[in-house]
Amino acid sequence: MLKNRFRYQYQQLNTYKEQLELQHLRVKTIIVNVINILFALLVFYFFTVLKITTNKLVIVELLFGIQLLINLYLYAQSEDQYNNLKLSLYVNTLFEYVIAVTLIFIFQTPSVFTLLFLAYATTAIYQDSKVTLLSNISIFFAGLLLTINYPLVFKTTGTTTYQEMLIVIYLFLYIILLSISSYIIIKRKSFFYNNLAKIKESEVRNIRLMAEIGRIAGNEHFQGTEYYSSLQRFFTEVCKKIGIENIFTRKINLLKDLEYKLPAELIAKYPEYTVERLQELEEMRLAVMSKFHHLAVKASKVGEVAFNKKEQFSEALFQSFKHPTDEQYVKIIAFSVFYVLLKTDKLFLKEFDEEKIRDILMNSEYFYLIDSKIFQIYQDNYQVFDMIVQDVLKERLEYAPRYK
Amino acid sequence: MHRVINKVRNSEFLTFNELMRLKVSVVSTFLVVFILFTIPISSLENVRDNFSLLIPISIVVLTVITILLILLNVNRLAMHTANIAILILTIYYTRGDNHFYGFILFFIALTILIFFQDILAYLFYGLGIVGFGVYYLNLNGMKIVGENSINPAISILTYHVALIGFFLLFLIQFLLSDSIYEKMNREWVRMNRLLRRYQDYTFGYIEEIEEENEVEPVWKDNRFQKTVHEISLFINQFFEKDAEKISEVVEYYFFLHTQELSEILENKEANIFAKRYAIQMDKYLLNHNSEMIGILLDFSTLFMKENKYTNKRYDYNLDRLLRDSSDKLLFLAILYRFLKREVTRFDKWGKISETLSHDEITNLFKSSVFREFITYEQLNFYLDNEELFRDNL
Repeated sequence: MLKNRFRYQYQQLNTYKEQLELQHLRVKTIIVNVINILFALLVFYFFTVLKITTNKLVIVELLFGIQLLINLYLYAQSEDQYNNLKLSLYVNTLFEYVIAVTLIFIFQTPSVFTLLFLAYATTAIYQDSKVTLLSNISIFFAGLLLTINYPLVFKTTGTTTYQEMLIVIYLFLYIILLSISSYIIIKRKSFFYNNLAKIKESEVRNIRLMAEIGRIAGNEHFQGTEYYSSLQRFFTEVCKKIGIENIFTRKINLLKDLEYKLPAELIAKYPEYTVERLQELEEMRLAVMSKFHHLAVKASKVGEVAFNKKEQFSEALFQSFKHPTDEQYVKIIAFSVFYVLLKTDKLFLKEFDEEKIRDILMNSEYFYLIDSKIFQIYQDNYQVFDMIVQDVLKERLEYAPRYK
Repeated sequence: MHRVINKVRNSEFLTFNELMRLKVSVVSTFLVVFILFTIPISSLENVRDNFSLLIPISIVVLTVITILLILLNVNRLAMHTANIAILILTIYYTRGDNHFYGFILFFIALTILIFFQDILAYLFYGLGIVGFGVYYLNLNGMKIVGENSINPAISILTYHVALIGFFLLFLIQFLLSDSIYEKMNREWVRMNRLLRRYQDYTFGYIEEIEEENEVEPVWKDNRFQKTVHEISLFINQFFEKDAEKISEVVEYYFFLHTQELSEILENKEANIFAKRYAIQMDKYLLNHNSEMIGILLDFSTLFMKENKYTNKRYDYNLDRLLRDSSDKLLFLAILYRFLKREVTRFDKWGKISETLSHDEITNLFKSSVFREFITYEQLNFYLDNEELFRDNL
């Protein structure tokens, strides 16, 4: 039923989600490479102790070396680092298994076979859906093909029977369990990235909405002109106390000039300021909706929110019209109220026509807020819904005109 | 089965307790299947010694206890009984003659511990399994050395590396995800509360505007009430023929707008259904900043025209937003004045008319949450010049 949940979403969401994930990708890439270097050293030690021919050692160490070089190259790319690091995850995953299988072929012993588990564990650090899929396929087929084609690898001194089938069954169970586990972790990870990104943007917009409604209410009248004289007085006193020349007068004058002077005029008047610094200050200008205004509004509210660090998210924190503890009637009324409110012209939101409402509900995350059975009824009978509203309301239900 | 798959698919929406319940259920199913599945195999094994009967009985008993605990919703304890069952199962199967098969079981046991994603349980039981694994290798290591092995000692060492390495690698994964998701979770919960606070103010302004312009709130409008009523009746007919009850509930919904929830709950005359519906519908009322209002306000922000994303879009720290240190001090002073002079708070009558006092600002500046805005260096500057801030701004 849901067509495209991303059609109606904040356009800033994906970029910030990538930014959030990028921070963690960097850390994970470093950790995995450190682990690989340690394994490369360990392999070198084993080869040396076992006095295995140099060319075999060179092959394995070369594989570790190539893997590290690819990682360093991709990590060093400043452009599109997110996709470069993602690529490094896939390359690393393949290399882990190539190295493990190479070692199995060189040694052909059951002990080396267990390195496949190590390869899997190393790639599990990434917690990425595509890596998990790639890793699952690699370990299963590597294990399966080895047991079928090279049963001698598993021949131990302690038993006369081969155990190929058991190994395949174990591998299968192992993959199933770890896949479910990874799936749950990855879903949760995506959920947090998505929600955190969404709530950050929502905060910016809610501050703006609050300021806009506050301005209509006559409460938001933040103006720089009221600040300058007290700032001059304050910094004169501070400079006197510290015993330095008052460098702030010129800065305060610049803040005043930012209100009405053109950039070219500002550059001419304040040559000591670079264009970047002027832009920086321009964003921080003393006016409603500026970056500084957002900062100050947020700063004024953070102290009001009590928050326990141990508190985890719970169902109660999610806003929706389908809380599992709600009666069916309550879910119906909640949706009906929401629907009629969307058809009503409000102070903060204009009314929508039927087509638009349907389009939004079917192409956004709001789809998930509504009980699926109720939504299906709406979807099948949206024209009837519209007719009821038209019939009862007769004319537009306005709740904003007098404020305009 | 379909329900479990659906739960796994929507696992991100489960609470930690629900998620634990799901995981223990999956592991219990796995345990039962594994025991049934491996009986024919294990019966071929020569499980020796007198404990042969006691161990499988304890595994079965523990599995039954686990299932009972799941049913009683004591999920954390169920996780522990499941882990103990796995531990005993591992010991049981490693007592057979087929030692390589027994050794692989250590990985399976660790895999189950990983599945729970509980770091303390992983450390406790995981160390137990790895410890037993090392002991097992010392005891039976020579029996699982490959026939092609050049150096048996190195082969056994490889087994050690694989087992301990596997444990450590997943420990790294645990620590990483714990630190990353704990941080994200905390941030989300905190932001969620903050967002609700902004909406409290937005709703407060809306109420002020309505009052000042003598506009009745939308829920008092008869046409609005009738439309909600008709739509609700229409939806309800797909569930039941009788329209009487839903009509009553809709009427009750609008009636609740004129009542205090606490009064209804304290009213001894009100029946249990009235109280239950009052609690459930409170979050959808339109006379306070309810969930309904929150969703609607958030919905409206979807259609705002906003600037594109930049790296500093969600950064509110003066230290990072400004490069020049004197600029940072200048804006620290402006921030102080904003907090002291601009109306940003509700008064005791619920009107937005209060400013912050000097002492409140000082406490705010000192609080840990304020490190999001200013650094310790800027805080020290403020504390060193507190009187000047108070007297001049």
